[in-house]
Amino acid sequence: MAHIALAIRTDNLTKIYYMGWGRYQVGVRDLSLEVEEGQIFGLVGPNGSGKTTTLKLLLGLIFATSGDAEVLGEPMGSPRAKQRVGYLPEGPYFYEHLTAPELLRMYASLFGLGGRQFESRIQELLELVDMWDHREQRVANYSRGMRQRVGVAQTLINEPDLLFFDEPTAGLDPIGARDIREVILRLRGEGKTIFLCSHLLKEMEPICDNIAILDRGELVGQGGVEELLAGEEQRYRVELRSPSEEMLAGLEQVADEVVWLDDTCRALFADRQAAFEAAARADDEGGHLLAVGPDRRTLEEVFIDAVGEVAPDASDL
Amino acid sequence: MNNTVKQLVVGILIIGLLIGMRPLSDAISYDRLVLGYARPTQVTKILQYDAPAMTSVIVGAMLGGFREVAASMLWMKTHSMWHKGAGTQWDALYLMRMTTLLDPHWLEPWRITAWHCAYNLYVETDDEEKRAELVETGVNVLKEGISWNPDRYDLYFELGWTYFDKIRDYEEAARWMGAAVRFEHPEYIERLIAHGWERVPEMEKALMWYDYCLKRRPSDHTAKGATITIRERYLPASRLIDEGRFEEAADAADMYLTINPQATLALHMKAHVYERAGDLEKALEYWALAAENYTLDYHARAKVADLCEQLGWPVPEYASHIYMREQQLKQQREMAIRRDAN
Amino acid sequence: MRAIYRVARATYYEGWRRRFLNGILVFAILIIGSSWVFTYLQPGAELKMLIDVGLGSIRFFGMLIAVFLGTRLIPDEIEKRTIYTLLSKPVTRMQFLLGKYFGGLATVISNVALMGATFYVVFLVKAPQFAQPTEEGSPVYSMEFMYENIAKAIVLNFVELAVVMAIAVVASVVFSWILAAIVSFFVYFVGQMSEFFGHLADPETTANPVARMILLTIYRVLPHFENFDVRESILTDIPVIWPYMGKVAAMGALYVAVVLALGYLFFNQREV
Repeated sequence: MAHIALAIRTDNLTKIYYMGWGRYQVGVRDLSLEVEEGQIFGLVGPNGSGKTTTLKLLLGLIFATSGDAEVLGEPMGSPRAKQRVGYLPEGPYFYEHLTAPELLRMYASLFGLGGRQFESRIQELLELVDMWDHREQRVANYSRGMRQRVGVAQTLINEPDLLFFDEPTAGLDPIGARDIREVILRLRGEGKTIFLCSHLLKEMEPICDNIAILDRGELVGQGGVEELLAGEEQRYRVELRSPSEEMLAGLEQVADEVVWLDDTCRALFADRQAAFEAAARADDEGGHLLAVGPDRRTLEEVFIDAVGEVAPDASDL
Repeated sequence: MNNTVKQLVVGILIIGLLIGMRPLSDAISYDRLVLGYARPTQVTKILQYDAPAMTSVIVGAMLGGFREVAASMLWMKTHSMWHKGAGTQWDALYLMRMTTLLDPHWLEPWRITAWHCAYNLYVETDDEEKRAELVETGVNVLKEGISWNPDRYDLYFELGWTYFDKIRDYEEAARWMGAAVRFEHPEYIERLIAHGWERVPEMEKALMWYDYCLKRRPSDHTAKGATITIRERYLPASRLIDEGRFEEAADAADMYLTINPQATLALHMKAHVYERAGDLEKALEYWALAAENYTLDYHARAKVADLCEQLGWPVPEYASHIYMREQQLKQQREMAIRRDAN
Repeated sequence: MRAIYRVARATYYEGWRRRFLNGILVFAILIIGSSWVFTYLQPGAELKMLIDVGLGSIRFFGMLIAVFLGTRLIPDEIEKRTIYTLLSKPVTRMQFLLGKYFGGLATVISNVALMGATFYVVFLVKAPQFAQPTEEGSPVYSMEFMYENIAKAIVLNFVELAVVMAIAVVASVVFSWILAAIVSFFVYFVGQMSEFFGHLADPETTANPVARMILLTIYRVLPHFENFDVRESILTDIPVIWPYMGKVAAMGALYVAVVLALGYLFFNQREV
């Protein structure tokens, strides 16, 4: 049996929006991506960078200006592909008058699923997202987190092979966000491919296998998370809070580079030995040592490097 | 199927359906006309450019379900204008016209509109041509109203009365009132038909209607009196005409004319005798006498115009506009016939 | 079919929860319920006034509901983003469009049926009093005949609303909903006058061939909404015959098919 190694493949996918009065706006331009099966793929970028546009193109909600894409080996937006995908839009809304089980039943019937034996599947899904206890409530009375949870349950109704999640944790409290992340990881464990879009880089960092960075519709970086975070060469760092004058002078002598982040001083070393010696010395002198170890960039830093400026709503980062 | 091909197919389908709908649409229009659900295609042109007609059709459409209610409101407004005085009477016509178009099954606006044209506005002007136009408009309004309400006696009677009282075309009057009595109606209409025929003069028909009245209501004194008068004064002449004894008929007609030389009925009778006898010149003389005696005798004037044409004589001033009008109508009728033939 | 039914069902129940629709419905039922009060405005023509106000309200408010609901159905889905979850499922655009249309239509028809039932009750109670002939020469009405004609008038109103609804739904796919509502009203009102346009298109009335062409096109393309209006026949004792009902219903169905096919052309291209 032929095994399709790629869940998604896009080939110079381009979407230009016509804004009227002869003005155009780039949605995405020349996007070429490959998403392997069974991985969590993160598409990151500031708001307006084209993440949702890409998702909509792949789902056939909007139509590409040029370029092509395949989803699960089918042309994007084709009914055959839709049979096997699940989609959680950003801030999902549902018919307000329905309860969660009614909603799931409705969606299930669109796949031709239903019947008595299906009720156990609905219960299972609602338990998975911790909504079974709220099964009597109507969507109108849901909190944002509850909507999001039902949204996740609804993507799973057809046991899809590929899931599209658009900002799945945006606006959720920390526990809600964690729950969703756990569900996502569990789904990967079941062998599903997950395509995540988010600007919440801290949340993407621990769960994504691969990442693509979009900026103003163009791909500015792509690769495995580990590789991206490690950077080109391995360096080591020592972090001190509010070091004294002489301590700082000593550090600046031995370190390759010293940067300040608020009241935290970060010294970077190419040599591992030198880094640990500097740390020991600072500790001896009574400095407030925060960290010492390999310098691993955060996704935020990678992102800022790639985009070249702070994302518009960096406060969320 | 390719998307473009699909769209093309749907596009062709749309055009096909639109074309296919046409016969059905025509069938429905035909049904509406025949069954009486439809607006008659003739919209009487009451005013130049007929702005109120346009306005009311548009406003009526906009009101959708409430056009009849709007008609009631307009009618109240008409009433209040009415009470303000004569200066507003032309304006009132606009409102009246709109009311008839907004709610064409409401009889009163038709009646009042026609009456307003043929009577009220009629006396506002001295221009004969203008007057004739106004009377004709009133008649057309009633005819349009009848086309909306063909199974109620009211407007037939109203039209008949306009012919009788205003136009003095008694034959037309008797015909329209005859149409009115096919529906539930008040009794006086039957007598009016008889009055119409006696003025034509068609004495046999008049007698027939009076007899009809008497049979239905033996206590009908008017009918009884009229029967006696006709039998005494005019029936002999009428009978003699039918027997072809025209000279004796003329003498019989004279019997009452000598008592009252200006009696309309007697003059008509005498003219009728000569007309039937084929003496058009003599007939013209008496019709002209009747027309000059009584300026409102349209029937006589129309006869004058008609006979002058037959004789090839110049039409006298007082009948000329009738003559012109007749010619115009004749032309229109011929055109219509030719168009139908094509 | 299942997809259409499911979308329609959800639309139907959702439709009943729209506040402004409930508002219009309550207002309409109040007016219809009290339509007999208006009869004092026209002494001597009470029955006429009763039917004018009652059936007029049904037609007018039914049209309002059809236009406002129809133009909101799909834009609301897009605005509230419920359309994303639906269209990312195996639901084609056409199924979605049809589902929304039939669901919305079911809402409108049940609304109008409620109004109709209200009017029937008022009519059954009040009409026999008004129908007494008051003087010689005033028309005598057959009540049985009127009951039947009123029912037929309401049924034809349903067909009319189906056409209005299709126009509203499709207009909302092409334009913003406000513009769509304006377009729908415009088509409805001009469609009311289509016979008038047919008359204007006559060479006798309009001499200019270009103007005549435009008028004829309007006459041919726009729906003839006056065909659905047989209220006048109720008071004039003209029977509304079944063949006529059948033809008008067939015409309505054809027209709905045309409009929805047009909607498919637009909605298939539409980005959501």
